[in-house]
Amino acid sequence: MSQKTPAVVVDQVSKWYDQVIGLNDVSLAIDGGVTGVLGPNGAGKSTLFKLLMGRLKPSQGSVKLFGEDPWVNPSPYRRIGYVCETERMYDWMTALDFVSTLARLHGMTREEATARAEHVLDFVGLSDVQNKEIGKYSKGMRQRVKIAHALVHDPDLIILDEPLHGCDPIARTSIMSVIRELGTQGKTVLVSSHILEEIERITEQIVILNEGRLLALGNLHAIRGLLDKHPHRILLTCEDPRKLARRFIVENPVYGVRFPNEGQLEIQTNDLSAAHSILPRVITDSGVLVESIDNPDDNLEALLGYLIGGSS
Amino acid sequence: MSLPEEELNIDGVKTRMEVAYGAGDGDEDAKAIVAKSEAHVGTLFEQTYRPWDGELGPRWVRNYAIFRHHVYGLFRGTGHRHYHPMVKLTIFVILLYSLLPVLMLFLASLSTDGFMSDLFSRLWGINRYNLWGQVLGYFPRNLCCWPMLTALVVGGMISDDRKFGTSAIYFSRPVTRTDYTVMKYISVAVVLGFVIVLSYFVYYTSAIVFNGEGWAYLVDTLPMFLGGLIAGILVVITYTSIGLALSSISQSRFFAAIAFLGVIYGTKLLALLIESQFDTSILYVLSPYDSLAHIGQWLLGIEPNYDHPLAFSLVSMLLYNASAIALLTFRVGTLEVTRE
Repeated sequence: MSQKTPAVVVDQVSKWYDQVIGLNDVSLAIDGGVTGVLGPNGAGKSTLFKLLMGRLKPSQGSVKLFGEDPWVNPSPYRRIGYVCETERMYDWMTALDFVSTLARLHGMTREEATARAEHVLDFVGLSDVQNKEIGKYSKGMRQRVKIAHALVHDPDLIILDEPLHGCDPIARTSIMSVIRELGTQGKTVLVSSHILEEIERITEQIVILNEGRLLALGNLHAIRGLLDKHPHRILLTCEDPRKLARRFIVENPVYGVRFPNEGQLEIQTNDLSAAHSILPRVITDSGVLVESIDNPDDNLEALLGYLIGGSS
Repeated sequence: MSLPEEELNIDGVKTRMEVAYGAGDGDEDAKAIVAKSEAHVGTLFEQTYRPWDGELGPRWVRNYAIFRHHVYGLFRGTGHRHYHPMVKLTIFVILLYSLLPVLMLFLASLSTDGFMSDLFSRLWGINRYNLWGQVLGYFPRNLCCWPMLTALVVGGMISDDRKFGTSAIYFSRPVTRTDYTVMKYISVAVVLGFVIVLSYFVYYTSAIVFNGEGWAYLVDTLPMFLGGLIAGILVVITYTSIGLALSSISQSRFFAAIAFLGVIYGTKLLALLIESQFDTSILYVLSPYDSLAHIGQWLLGIEPNYDHPLAFSLVSMLLYNASAIALLTFRVGTLEVTRE
């Protein structure tokens, strides 16, 4: 039985620019759904995307898109849509002309290209301004034009380099819903961003890079669960934290409590799911009124802090 | 608590704001801007992605898309490569100017005076010198027309892609580096050829038509015509190679255009100065124009006005083309043209 080839396979890839290492022995395979590529500036995100798009040749290792090396063979690009970081486009063209022109680079006929361009521009919410010149667009609209041109040939793999950069909240929300929709349609979407909260709203599947090295890959919560040396915290806001603390400290998954502020109790545990499973019983038995329950370090920002802080 | 239906309906009946203002204590004439019924009209974009199940066309369709994008921009205002209206106008003027001998031939054909007819025939008629001059004459063709035409067309051909970041978009499509380079090359060559070679062709054929020449004339002059045609094609190839190579190393069409003019005029000027001081034409091998002119003189069978052997000019032209194409393919092959 033939096995399906993953959309992206990066095998022990390194890329260096003279003395500077851009990417250091990175291996990963991605197929299906939305994956966030995260890391601080200079982490190697753009280098990774350029390697995937065949714009750079790996110094070592191999990159395969749908089983083909993109540096040697551009045929996988029939199935790939790419949104590059640059904001510059043909400003004199209308969005419809721009997207349909690029559709024709995939071999579509004029009619097909125009119909398809109209659809993707409608999908990204630009149908009412599609005949306006791109030079007159706002930043958010330009980002959406870039997404539209990447989608025009109905790719299976979509690579978005900082698609939320410079967008206002409304444009961000719109772009995020577009990305989520593509993910639910079974497409493989790779998206990089500095805005962690928004990546978190799009996906829990992440790749974390720092200083060219792959730090983590997989589900956000699963990765967090693996960080044993950084205990999980559960923050409860309640009317009598000390009374509640007495109840919690005798429970097995809890190994420490703190009172960070007045009216707050912080429970420390190494097993977050076990701790959550005992929460309802302990709170009910204590009779203490709890206003809120929060996991302050089970998010992307905390995870990045632990990983990148730990690696440096 | 939700408002009653009649208070929500702001089209026709009193709105809540009108009720508040219309309290009857002297402010009956007071006006307030209230929401109009259009406020209820909204647009909900259908953000549903519809997959496409069409067949993507073959390689030639994609390559034709690159070609038409560059060439159609000269004729259409939008949707293609942008050429400034002044650029389009200049190219049109150069085309008209290159066709000027056709008009003169026509006027000469109307002359019945023997002396005038001979004079016109010498000035504009078909002969080796005039055919050479139509393609390779220095003034005005190779001083004002062809280098200017090339600079205007080729300047932004690759540098614009770098400037606007669109070369990265090209290479995120199933476009090979070879296709990209070849289609850019053909696009420039077609535009240059349209002006240089077509005007030469029209000039030759119109002489036959206007003078009512027959087969014997055609047989007599065809070898000359073909020699000039090859010279014209060599001009197009050499200028395209040099121009595209310069465009691939620059990020602005201005630099590429100026650099091209610098190569053509600079080498010519240098060789001219050396010749005037030392009475030797050897440095003309540095000038792409003079190498072509020398080869053209040989192809058309006219007396060369260079002292150095023809082989030097031939090697010079080959080296210019080879090095320009090597630079161009290196820049595209390493995808340096995508670096912004």
